[in-house]
Amino acid sequence: MKRTSFSLIQASILLLGLHLAGCNQSGGDGADGQDKIVVGVSMLSMQNEFIVNVADEIEKKADEMGVELITVDAERSPLKQIEQVESFIAQDVDVIIMNPCEVEASSPAVTKALAAKVPIINVNSATSSSPTAFVGSDDVESGRIAMEYIAKRLGGKGNVIMIHGYMGQAAQLQREQGAREVLKKYPGLKLIAHQSGEWDRAKAMSLTENWIQSYGSNIQAVFAHNDEMGMGAVKALSDAGMKDKVVVVSVDAIPDALQAVQKGTLDATVFQNAEQQGSKAIETAIKIVKGQPYDAQTLVPFQLVTKENVAQYMK
Amino acid sequence: MKETLIAYFNRSAESPALPTRRIGKYGIFLAFILLCVLLSLMTPRFLTVANLTIIVTQVSINALLAFGVTFVILTGGIDLSLGSMVAVTGVVAATFAHPDDYPLVVPIGVGLLAGVLFGALNGFVITRSKVAPFIVTLGTMTIGRGLALIISKGRPVSNLSDSFNFIGGGHLFGIPFPIIILLVAFAVCSLILKKTVLGRYIYAIGGNEQAARASGIQVSRVKMWVYTISGLLAAVAGIVLTSRITTGQPNAGVGFELSAIAAAIIGGTSTSGGSGTMAGTLIGALLIGVISNGLDLLNVTSYYQQVVMGAIIIGAVVLDGLNRKSR
Amino acid sequence: MSLTQDYILSVHGLSKSFAGVRALQDMSFQLRRGEVHALMGENGAGKSTFMRILVGMETADAGTILFEGNELKSSNVRQSRRFGISMIHQEMLVVPELTVAQNIFLGREKKQSFLGFLRGFTNDPAMSAEAGVLLQKLGLHLNPDLPMKYLSVAEMQMVEIAKAISNDAKVIIMDEPTSALSDREVAALFEVIEDLKQKGVAIIYISHKMEEVYKICDTITVLRDGKYIGTRPVSELDKNGLITMMVGREISDLFPESMAGKGDVLLSVRGLSQVGKFANIHFDVHKGEVLGIAGLMGAGRTEVARALVGLDKPTSGEIYFRGKLTTIQSPRDAIRQGIGYVSEDRKGFGFIPELSVVHNLTLSSLPRHRKGAFISEQSEQSAAEAMIRDLRIKVSGPDQKVGVLSGGNQQKVVIGKVLLTDPELIILDEPTRGIDIGAKHEIYKLITRLTEAGMAVILISSELPEILGLCDRVVVLSKGRQTALLSKEESTQETIMKHAMEFSKPVDLLLNEE
Repeated sequence: MKRTSFSLIQASILLLGLHLAGCNQSGGDGADGQDKIVVGVSMLSMQNEFIVNVADEIEKKADEMGVELITVDAERSPLKQIEQVESFIAQDVDVIIMNPCEVEASSPAVTKALAAKVPIINVNSATSSSPTAFVGSDDVESGRIAMEYIAKRLGGKGNVIMIHGYMGQAAQLQREQGAREVLKKYPGLKLIAHQSGEWDRAKAMSLTENWIQSYGSNIQAVFAHNDEMGMGAVKALSDAGMKDKVVVVSVDAIPDALQAVQKGTLDATVFQNAEQQGSKAIETAIKIVKGQPYDAQTLVPFQLVTKENVAQYMK
Repeated sequence: MKETLIAYFNRSAESPALPTRRIGKYGIFLAFILLCVLLSLMTPRFLTVANLTIIVTQVSINALLAFGVTFVILTGGIDLSLGSMVAVTGVVAATFAHPDDYPLVVPIGVGLLAGVLFGALNGFVITRSKVAPFIVTLGTMTIGRGLALIISKGRPVSNLSDSFNFIGGGHLFGIPFPIIILLVAFAVCSLILKKTVLGRYIYAIGGNEQAARASGIQVSRVKMWVYTISGLLAAVAGIVLTSRITTGQPNAGVGFELSAIAAAIIGGTSTSGGSGTMAGTLIGALLIGVISNGLDLLNVTSYYQQVVMGAIIIGAVVLDGLNRKSR
Repeated sequence: MSLTQDYILSVHGLSKSFAGVRALQDMSFQLRRGEVHALMGENGAGKSTFMRILVGMETADAGTILFEGNELKSSNVRQSRRFGISMIHQEMLVVPELTVAQNIFLGREKKQSFLGFLRGFTNDPAMSAEAGVLLQKLGLHLNPDLPMKYLSVAEMQMVEIAKAISNDAKVIIMDEPTSALSDREVAALFEVIEDLKQKGVAIIYISHKMEEVYKICDTITVLRDGKYIGTRPVSELDKNGLITMMVGREISDLFPESMAGKGDVLLSVRGLSQVGKFANIHFDVHKGEVLGIAGLMGAGRTEVARALVGLDKPTSGEIYFRGKLTTIQSPRDAIRQGIGYVSEDRKGFGFIPELSVVHNLTLSSLPRHRKGAFISEQSEQSAAEAMIRDLRIKVSGPDQKVGVLSGGNQQKVVIGKVLLTDPELIILDEPTRGIDIGAKHEIYKLITRLTEAGMAVILISSELPEILGLCDRVVVLSKGRQTALLSKEESTQETIMKHAMEFSKPVDLLLNEE
């Protein structure tokens, strides 16, 4: 199971090669009937465990179905992502799967693919221009689920702090939106502080340590936009001997978080189904290429993971 | 005859044999005290033993990196690979730190060794190729990041032993262990710089590399040492960080090199080499930590924190320039 | 005609302090049109402070400057320039990447408009044409569109003079203008000065070289320790009188007599060559001997020295030290074998300005002061202090930074550093360049003392009196080749110059062929 992860440079060398090859056999459209279907995949960041899981699933499914993949890593750069999609178009791939870096900035990639008549599927998060199909989860829902859990645990009354992801990213915006919807529903819940932990465990840990200094036992719950940051908050609270008094919830259900839920240090996480997102994405892609009917929007539901049901998510 | 205008203006500021007035030397220390006083007036939560302990603990990682890069900057070089070295060494150490796998010395030893090798590689390429340290370490920064991802297969290395987690999270005589590491590293680095032949040579090379060479100093060898020490300290920082967050993160430490360089420069290390002290660097790192902590306590968003930090870095360099002129 | 009208520049009671230290005290100075007025004094005497006030780089604390009867008030470089005061700096103030013409017009470029309304474009052709005319007038055949970096030091200096003239300078200040020039170039410079003089331009000439001052100057003003000592016409002041004014005491016997006896051969150089630098160099140096290396600028003197101390690698030839064939890999290797080097480029290769006097002194011998892992400060300090006393280095304290010392004291620190390595052979490359007469004399005495102690000295110098006064034998180089090895008896100004010019065809653009 080798993943073909290309850098931009490699992709452009490849592109150059294809250009040259294309000169020799111009006119002949390579991807006909019995030729292998070629899928271009541009992922947000191969340094993020969740994204890697999605990519792995796409790869696994592609192998099973005999489809050729070109997977590239956009390294969180929307510009890079657009260039990658452009090179996919130039390489004449049959379909593109994109895991967008940003809502707005990655939009041109979608527009360009559609203009070149190459179907494009957004996986995991959305862009402002609509693609051929979307496979993912509604991140607003994850914020809602997490905050509802906090409301339930606190009986609808108490002080909450929130640790954001990178400000302005789709996941951060939507998770915040969901959380705020719930906060509005419970006037007894008060958001006393919120700040960006930049998806980073160490940052979130320092942030929580500092908040403990300013709010102390006034903190009743923490909502972190991802598990990495949730784990950082848990560490800071445990070090301060406050963990048993504070509810911590985060999103993603990475293995570390699941273990923590099982141990009881993290109260809950919200499971986003990477496997399903990956497999649905590639399935939809193949359907589109083969001209079969497909769903323009596939929403993979989030699931709340607590100590009671954690066992079924652990592998 | 190679005097350019710029060289002239630096020189024209030298007044003939005058006693030096050095406001800048203690300027940063005064600024630091002033800031602390200000913050304790603004929030009662600042000046508590618990909060101060937290600040120093949080600062320890940046300070360790800053000590290393101070050696490097003193020779007139730069090390941009610090953050990547933190990731590599952290991931390497974590790989050997699972419970009941190996005794504690193995993850620590292997992690430190990785840092030493990485730093030595920097030094080797810089001294052999004569390519600017900026370029070389920019390259190894990327290489290091890649290595960290390769070793960890892109995933955090978690489930570390309790004994390993003690390094970043434990207490000794009621003092968080990272603070003890910080103090020991500070003492050792200060001694190297002030009391050893190596330290003297580091200042000499930064002050005038040609003259240092003509004086019989093996410049390449000293530089090898300097980058290797930087790597070693980055490894210490990497291990402390990994232990503190109880996982080895391949994407940890992004941008750490900039904070470390900032600490050294705020602390009065001359950007062109030749002058600076470990105490200054420590104050620089503490200043950064205090600002970040203070603004968190005041619930100022991190955006403003970045603006403040940038202004302080520029201020420090301007101060350095003024100081240079008054000589 | 009243006297004041005669003076283009008249200075009274000028004082300036830096941080409470008097750099210039009650300075008086009168400059006539068309005279060359030497300003002399040891380093730190206040000459540069005075000049910096004149050109507007510093503001005086007290006193008046009258320029053609108008008072020059605030410090402003542009204003001084507009009045017609220009300075040719010792360290050339040129922008190497710009052309000759662009340098001449730097800061007051000729402008032109584009399409009649966009202003502020530089008119390079016009500047280039005018620069060409100017250079021609100075007898300088230089392409005004050539980037400055391709020029020799002498040519750059001429360009600076051209710049001053183009500025309608009435007073030109020249700070050590000959310090980097060959004798031919000096001659050419003097012709230009003579010419300027005829045109009524006044020149303030700062120099340590007495021969020059006596050759071209009309009047001498001496400063000492920031104080005005006096002004005399050159004709009324002999060299000893001048030295006494400058140093404040009499220096008898500028070159001390050496009592050293010639010992065994210490260093033998056989057929030493370095491609493109020098070829087939051949000499011996004995213990207790001063061997001079003379030659014009660019003859390869420094290059030979660099090869002997491992800064460069010779391409062929042999070096025998203490009778054994050896190679010298690096400066460190040279020091270990017992060869010390004092570079002609004091700032570039000599000392670390940011380090203290003590730390500079012990830099080459630091491992000797190591006790365990650390440096023994006590041992270091005592060695350095002994050297400070021995060489009479004037410092406010052992922790003073070398960067702030005067040139002579910096040089002593560099020599002290080399001596602390206990060398058997010491190579001194232009050891007295840019330092004042008092310090020079001390260095001469030191050289004699070293040879009397059995050390061998190789002395490289552009100043013939130094070579003649100190050396037992003289190697003369010309264009990288050894043209003579003269005994003390054979060495005269004439024989040395003859051999120094043996291979040199005049290539300077500055000299007219005779």
